[in-house]
Amino acid sequence: MATLADGTPLPGKLFIVEGIDGSGKSTQLDLLRKWLIATGYCVAFSEWNSSPLVRDTTKRGKKKKLLTPTTFSLLHAVDFAHRLQQQMIPALRAGAIVLADRYAYTAFVRDVARGVDPAWVREVYAFAVVPTVALYFRVPLDESLRRIVTGRPKVKFYEAGLDLGLSDDPYESYRIFQARILREYDRLVDEFGLHVIDATLPIVDQQEIVRAVVEPHLEGALRAEPNPWRSVLSTEHLSGHYLDSLLQQVARS
Amino acid sequence: MTRVRFYGRGLPGVTDQQFAGKLIAIEGPDGVGRSTQIALLREWLEASGYAVSLSGLRRSELASVGIDAAKQGHTLGHTTMALYYAVDLADRLERVIIPALRAGFVVLTDRYLYSLIARNEVRGVDGAWIRSLMGFALVPDAIFFLRAKVEDLIPRVLGTRGFDYWESGMDFLGHSDYYQSFAEYQARMLAAFARLGQEYGFRDVDASGSIESVFQQLRDGIREVVQELKPRPTQG
Repeated sequence: MATLADGTPLPGKLFIVEGIDGSGKSTQLDLLRKWLIATGYCVAFSEWNSSPLVRDTTKRGKKKKLLTPTTFSLLHAVDFAHRLQQQMIPALRAGAIVLADRYAYTAFVRDVARGVDPAWVREVYAFAVVPTVALYFRVPLDESLRRIVTGRPKVKFYEAGLDLGLSDDPYESYRIFQARILREYDRLVDEFGLHVIDATLPIVDQQEIVRAVVEPHLEGALRAEPNPWRSVLSTEHLSGHYLDSLLQQVARS
Repeated sequence: MTRVRFYGRGLPGVTDQQFAGKLIAIEGPDGVGRSTQIALLREWLEASGYAVSLSGLRRSELASVGIDAAKQGHTLGHTTMALYYAVDLADRLERVIIPALRAGFVVLTDRYLYSLIARNEVRGVDGAWIRSLMGFALVPDAIFFLRAKVEDLIPRVLGTRGFDYWESGMDFLGHSDYYQSFAEYQARMLAAFARLGQEYGFRDVDASGSIESVFQQLRDGIREVVQELKPRPTQG
């Protein structure tokens, strides 16, 4: 069982996914989440760079191009620390399953690809909890670019690594930057024991592997009945239309 | 028909003796499933022919945006926050709840002044002051309290929105740990609710069981409260 630095036990399970943009990791994590919930587990979810805490600062930094590799790296660490403390650790302490879309490894690859010292960024994230399972969705660069370019019209400045002056052409810059990130990921596989999944496989096959990898770790995880309102609707002859709008509201927030 | 009574000095201009509708408060700790139950009750009441109006903490047109902003800043003192919530409650009473009651609606309110009193008492705000502050609140026709243990709340909170700063008492308990803080805060809130239940006459609903069993307890209780609103069949 994982523990905090002070020895506090974390009986929950932490499953994280990593991979470059277009690797399909979020799709796989979403499928895993739905399966776990349907199987009757209590599941919490946290996504990289999603906390409102630094949103305005990051937005301002991006808009005015104020961010350096160091400040950009630190802002992500602020976001991560906040989500870890507020979302992930409490859920792990309660024994729940926590799913994280990207984890500290994203900082280890992206920030290092931006020129940040690899040892320093690892020290910065020393407070991170070691995941139960870390899945790395490996995809060749050309395949990921094909997926990204068809999915999104335009790559953004920092996303393309344009801050690094690799190339003036956003697509060329993006390509060079992603190639660097890919190389860094390959280094992490052995260093942190990432479980590599071939992200060129059909979605269904990948999900089968993901479930098989995760399943042995589920024992003892906190359970929660899925759709606990189902029976009241049938016995009381209610359609649940107000409940539906409530659930939609919760999903949006 | 409901006789109009206030907890304290009441609201200026409200001189009605009776309201045609019924005011029902649903109270209970964070994550106990109040919103789910209210969504089901609203459907059931409407299907049974009652007009329903909903209200709830921080839903006033006047003060909800301001309170949300104040909560983001984490800067307000307890007294200021209590007063801001009083603005919210007064606005809802004067402009939503009382007009609906006059028109004969069943008004379901998701939390009422008891949550506000409990939150303030656990934070050390003077109980007599908060009670006189909230003296403009109408006495409802029934208060249903959804009772559960802290262990029941944790999976529900985790499965939906996660631990919230205020629902975990992070503003005053002094733990940096959300889990510990949530458990302690909710335990204190439950103790405060237990005292308030005696004082205000809560009807207890066991909310540790299934949604279905909670709904059935609430439905039976509410049916008793609202049945006098139904026109009786006249003998031909």
